[in-house]
Amino acid sequence: MKLTSVCRVITAVAVLVFIHGCSSAPSQQQPTPVVEQGKPLFAPRPPVSYQAPGYEPPPGTTSVVTAAGYPPAVGALLRQAEQQANAGDLESAAASLERAIRIDPRNPVLWHHLATLRLSQGEPLQAEQLASKSNSLAPGNHAQQSRNWLLIAQARRQLNNTAGAAAAERRARELGAR
Amino acid sequence: MVKRRKRGRKKTRRKVAKRRSSRSLWVRIVVLLAVLLAGYVVYLDYQVRHQFTGKRWSLPARVYARPLELYAGLELSAEQFVTELKALQYRPVVSPRESGQFSRNKNEFHLLSRSFDFWDGQEAPANVRLRFSGGKLARLTDGRSGQSLSLLRLDPVLVGSFYPAHNEDRVLLQLDEVPVSLTDALIVIEDRDFFSHHGISPLAVARALFANIRAGGVVQGGSTLTQQLVKNFFLSSERTLTRKINEAIMSLLLEWHYNKDEILEAYLNEVYLGQDGNRAIHGFGLASYFYFERPLAELSIDQTALLVAMVKGPSYYNPRRHPERATARRNLVLDVMADLGLITSGESARAKASKPGVSAYQRKAINTFPAFLELVRRQLQRDYRDEDITSDGLSIFTTLNPQVQWQLERVLGARLDKLERDRGLEAKTLEGAAVVTSVQGGEVLALAGGRDPNFAGFNRALDAHRQVGSLLKPAVYLTALEQPKRYTLATLLDDSPLTFTARNGVVWQPGNYDKVNHGNVPLYRALAHSYNISTARLGLDLGIESIIKTLRRLGVEQHLNPYPSLVLGAVEMSPLQVTHIYQTFAGGGFRTPLRAINAVLASDKSPLQRYQLNVQSAIEPAPNYLINSAMRFVAREGTGRSIYQSIPASQDVAGKTGTTDDLRDSWFAGFTGDRLGVVWIGRDDNKSTGLTGSTGALRVWRDLFVQFNNTGWVQPAVEGVEYLWIDPKSGSLADAGCQDAVQLPFITGSGPVRQAACVKQKKALPDPVDWFKELFQ
Repeated sequence: MKLTSVCRVITAVAVLVFIHGCSSAPSQQQPTPVVEQGKPLFAPRPPVSYQAPGYEPPPGTTSVVTAAGYPPAVGALLRQAEQQANAGDLESAAASLERAIRIDPRNPVLWHHLATLRLSQGEPLQAEQLASKSNSLAPGNHAQQSRNWLLIAQARRQLNNTAGAAAAERRARELGAR
Repeated sequence: MVKRRKRGRKKTRRKVAKRRSSRSLWVRIVVLLAVLLAGYVVYLDYQVRHQFTGKRWSLPARVYARPLELYAGLELSAEQFVTELKALQYRPVVSPRESGQFSRNKNEFHLLSRSFDFWDGQEAPANVRLRFSGGKLARLTDGRSGQSLSLLRLDPVLVGSFYPAHNEDRVLLQLDEVPVSLTDALIVIEDRDFFSHHGISPLAVARALFANIRAGGVVQGGSTLTQQLVKNFFLSSERTLTRKINEAIMSLLLEWHYNKDEILEAYLNEVYLGQDGNRAIHGFGLASYFYFERPLAELSIDQTALLVAMVKGPSYYNPRRHPERATARRNLVLDVMADLGLITSGESARAKASKPGVSAYQRKAINTFPAFLELVRRQLQRDYRDEDITSDGLSIFTTLNPQVQWQLERVLGARLDKLERDRGLEAKTLEGAAVVTSVQGGEVLALAGGRDPNFAGFNRALDAHRQVGSLLKPAVYLTALEQPKRYTLATLLDDSPLTFTARNGVVWQPGNYDKVNHGNVPLYRALAHSYNISTARLGLDLGIESIIKTLRRLGVEQHLNPYPSLVLGAVEMSPLQVTHIYQTFAGGGFRTPLRAINAVLASDKSPLQRYQLNVQSAIEPAPNYLINSAMRFVAREGTGRSIYQSIPASQDVAGKTGTTDDLRDSWFAGFTGDRLGVVWIGRDDNKSTGLTGSTGALRVWRDLFVQFNNTGWVQPAVEGVEYLWIDPKSGSLADAGCQDAVQLPFITGSGPVRQAACVKQKKALPDPVDWFKELFQ
């Protein structure tokens, strides 16, 4: 048994407590400290997948980014999104694109990139919606629409909608030919 | 540690063996006591380890506004920028030297921004110069090189916190975020042997005892930082012997298990430093904001010393209430720091000469925008438990735009005051609510739950369910326009008296607000002027069920009775629900779920959740374009035309007024290319306000939107739509030369074929310049 050491602790503690009792700080009006029960740590919902690999910058990204006509802020965010996506951090890339959309909300290219990201993240339904949104903002811009339809075709293929995918590819070809 | 424990046990065993020969009653008692004590120590040990390791301070969630993104071309005036900086507690100085400072010379600013952890990473501090001109940020350049910068994201304004029930508040800091000057000062003042003792310091106690005896009273404490921490952490503040024993044992145990840095960090975050009403100020991080309105890292040496001085007794040395006492003790701290070489004597002298630079105490409403915060809380509650929201130190990044919110609060209050004054209404009887969102992103930028922006009670924007009246008409007209073979904007509707007898025999006789029957009116005009009879007839033709289907597509989730009166808006909705409907119109037919939150970070700043921008195609772009065009006529020539009394004619607005029976509710929902606003005015007792949609809510909307630079079209051109000249009397094809002819959009091929009489005359008049034309260019 650890008798002696226990005895020693008792003595030491008693002496210390006694002395200490006479010498604590004045007027420390402390509210009753709240003793937290050891509750389980906050259980986060899993963040939107980071690991979805295989992001390829959409065709024309580089030229688009460097092309004149973008507000520099949007260009900077596009570049940032591209870097984040290439580093595999797709959700951060999406966040950067959303920042860009906040600045330039009717830019069909930004919506197209967001659609591409969503497809890489395994969200074909949302990818198709975003690509349609991009289309609606690009009247007369056949090249952009063609890219969107190609993306929609990919999204539909992921959803095993072969006929829908073929139709979308047809649209893309028609628009691309114009 | 494990080794140490084993060695101790061996030693004990050897000694116990020696004494086994002389067993006596006394020894038995001691053994019994020792066993009990050992058990107790084990229990305390468990407590210490369990609670310290798993210690999660109850950290309130912090709610942030959207960060201000600065870039050339941003619509922001110098004054607005200053307001934002003030809300961010940036300090105006002559020449900025540290983060959090700025200087201003007319429209030129020099700013040293702070770093901040966002969802997508840390924004580094920046040194920038800005120039404003014409209500815009004209230039953003690097403060040193002068090169232009594309973008800078400022730290976001803290707009509120969600507190746990006991109102404990804290800004959690890691040790490396705490200035060394503070930890040094703290240790030399409170516990000089901190780095050498094992939790309790007999030396300190002896020193304290000596000092106390010499002074003839209690002047010095012998508590180590560890003991103080244990006291705050695990024990009540009662001064009993048991508590002292526990404190000492637990201090030893804490030191045994944890290193000095961990203990110091916990102390820095736990120490009690003041009281703000029922909110306890814990830790140096929050105290720095509470007393100096700035982060700890930005404190000067005299301010740091003052905080250290207050540890001894935050109430006794409260610098706001007892500035002399506080200053005297601060100077004592500075002296000690100088004596020990932590600062030079010159620094000490300068710091001592300064007044205690505490900010004036403001009994601030803890939450600046309670109505918006309520929306945030409800959105969070879908995904998190209440205790997660109030205790887990989440950082919540919202979509709130403080500039818009301030403007909204101002115009709503002012306009309601004016309406009451002008109309001789009893003061403060009108109430209002409003929601402002971004058109494409569906982000809630501002929200007013009543005319008093600081009132945290009944939130009318979310919870006042009132009849919407004509606000629902666009859904009826959209249902029609989605059938281009039957209906176009030029289709003539019959506005003559209508008596409808339902199958159950109930008779319905809708009437127009102006009590006039308008004969045959083109569809766009019936909506623009909000004619009830023609709308009712149209709705009955289309079928109530098909209108309900349209409303569902527009995001209406509540139960809807398929009664004919539905087409005239006999349904109750909150301003937020109405916003959902109009969001889809404004978003070009894409439904965007309204978001008040962008992202949530955990207390360690790791990303937890992001609320993504999602869209869902709900209405084909072409019919959506038509209904938006009709709603532009509301603003140009219909019930909303008073908009252009203050909004410049060059700006494009679409919207709809709503007025309910006996003028109980006054509504306006309207949007530009960038923003959507829904405003409601009414009385809480649901009595008549004497206001129509256009004499009430529309004015609030106008007061607000006139402050924005509304660029861009409500909906840019879409494919599959063509413009034709129409004679509004006959609904037939006209040309530019026809009197009163209007250009209307049609789904390609759906326009009228029959030509109006005027076309045959072929007058060679020049084309009138029409605001529609620019659309197509």
